Amino acid sequence: MAARRVLKAVLVDLSGTLHIEDSAVPGSQEALKRLRSAPVAIRFVTNTTKESKRDLLERLRKLEFDIAEDEIFTSLTAARNLLEQKQVRPLLLVDDNALHDFRGIPTNDPNAVVIGLAPEHSNYQMMNEAFRLILDGAPLIAIHKARYYKRKDGLALGPGPFVTGLEYATDTKATVVGKPETTFFLEALRGIGCKPEETVMIGDDCRDDVGGAQNAGMLGILVKTGKYRAADEDKIKPAPYLTCESFPQAVDHILQHLL
Amino acid sequence: MSEICWLKSRYNSGLRHNARWIKASGLKLRFCTNETQATRDKFVKKLQRLGFNISVNEVTAPAPAACRILKERNLRPHLLIHDELVPEFDQVDKANPNCVVIGDAADNFSYKNLNEAFRVLIGLENPILISLGRGRYYKETDGLKLDVGVYMKALEYACDIQAEVVGKPAKMFFQSALAEMEVEPQQAIMIGDDIVNDVGGAQQCGMKALQVRTGKYRPCDEQHPEVKADGYVNNLAEAVDIIVKQLHK
Repeated sequence: MAARRVLKAVLVDLSGTLHIEDSAVPGSQEALKRLRSAPVAIRFVTNTTKESKRDLLERLRKLEFDIAEDEIFTSLTAARNLLEQKQVRPLLLVDDNALHDFRGIPTNDPNAVVIGLAPEHSNYQMMNEAFRLILDGAPLIAIHKARYYKRKDGLALGPGPFVTGLEYATDTKATVVGKPETTFFLEALRGIGCKPEETVMIGDDCRDDVGGAQNAGMLGILVKTGKYRAADEDKIKPAPYLTCESFPQAVDHILQHLL
Repeated sequence: MSEICWLKSRYNSGLRHNARWIKASGLKLRFCTNETQATRDKFVKKLQRLGFNISVNEVTAPAPAACRILKERNLRPHLLIHDELVPEFDQVDKANPNCVVIGDAADNFSYKNLNEAFRVLIGLENPILISLGRGRYYKETDGLKLDVGVYMKALEYACDIQAEVVGKPAKMFFQSALAEMEVEPQQAIMIGDDIVNDVGGAQQCGMKALQVRTGKYRPCDEQHPEVKADGYVNNLAEAVDIIVKQLHK
């Protein structure tokens, strides 16, 4: 293995890694405490398009995780950062809960389109509105391009199909801001001034968490909780730096071998 | 084709004569439409009210073509189409669907309906998606609107499959129109407003094709990287003029 710089940052996925719905992964609260005793910056990263940081924080605190709001970096944050950078006014096709994270961004007379998971905004009329804006030159920003996700009542379309449809309609390409895009991982580090080579990512989604992080130059640890399925680790090249049972074991490895 | 229906009356009198001119010159005429918001009957009645002398058996449209395919292959469709098109599928067995047929469903393209179609496909061992066209958008009186191709792409992406297209610009569609007229491609010319679906599709079959500068036409079409029309005309009347004059040379 090539010589690595000292580990300075740890990125931790939320859903499936620290908690599954409203239950914590056993031993995770204590493992997080142990990780905080090390000289590393920690960021909690997620592709949510439905929950604002406030919602996430509330859930995590109820599960007795010791986390601060500014340690959370979501795909919504990444989208907001991009809108501010480009100084555009978005048509926000995102879940009403998510609007909270776009407070302060002007939305009158939109000249950009942001698409997240928003069943109630994916009707024909809204899609036409988005289409006409993009045809007129508005950039299309996708929170992420998931094909589908699992709901209580079965599988349901994610934002990916709608983004793909609009790309086809307008002959343009969306800028995707969520995992597994490299920009997502780099943006997560921007606030803490660390480099990818100094960072390890822990997650349950082999392609989006581990693969994405490793493509960005980080180490990736795959945990066998959440959406993990047997042999997921064989699906990416290079394979995950480490595959282990769950978050507490990942923390143990970091404390024993990477510091 | 939808574009012609929405033109204001100052065009109608000119257009009314066009079909007659063409037929009077001994040319066979066929209307090739990707119209999937109405049955052929309704579509023809609409044009007849505008003064066109046209009958149902002069129209080649995707829905009847799709019904033939469904029958040949023993396919039972889950339909995601415009309410007005449903009668075209009356004779088709729709119980226990083993494929999805998608048309220009307009307001029926709700998240709920798309999700239902998606669930049918994702639950099939061999998912078959038949799309009545692959247009990106069309023009209505109140602006540009998304066409069936957009939602076809959405379902393709969601299920990681490729749709089968019945309708322009699929070769099969033009060939079936030519077969119905008993005419070789080299003996036929296509007139349309869609550079890719009308002009490109027809040329791929060996026909010549003219683009009219109406409907979904945009000036950049004349510099399209892949398709160069055999001619660009301001409207249907001009196209007919050229054709009829050529004949009488």
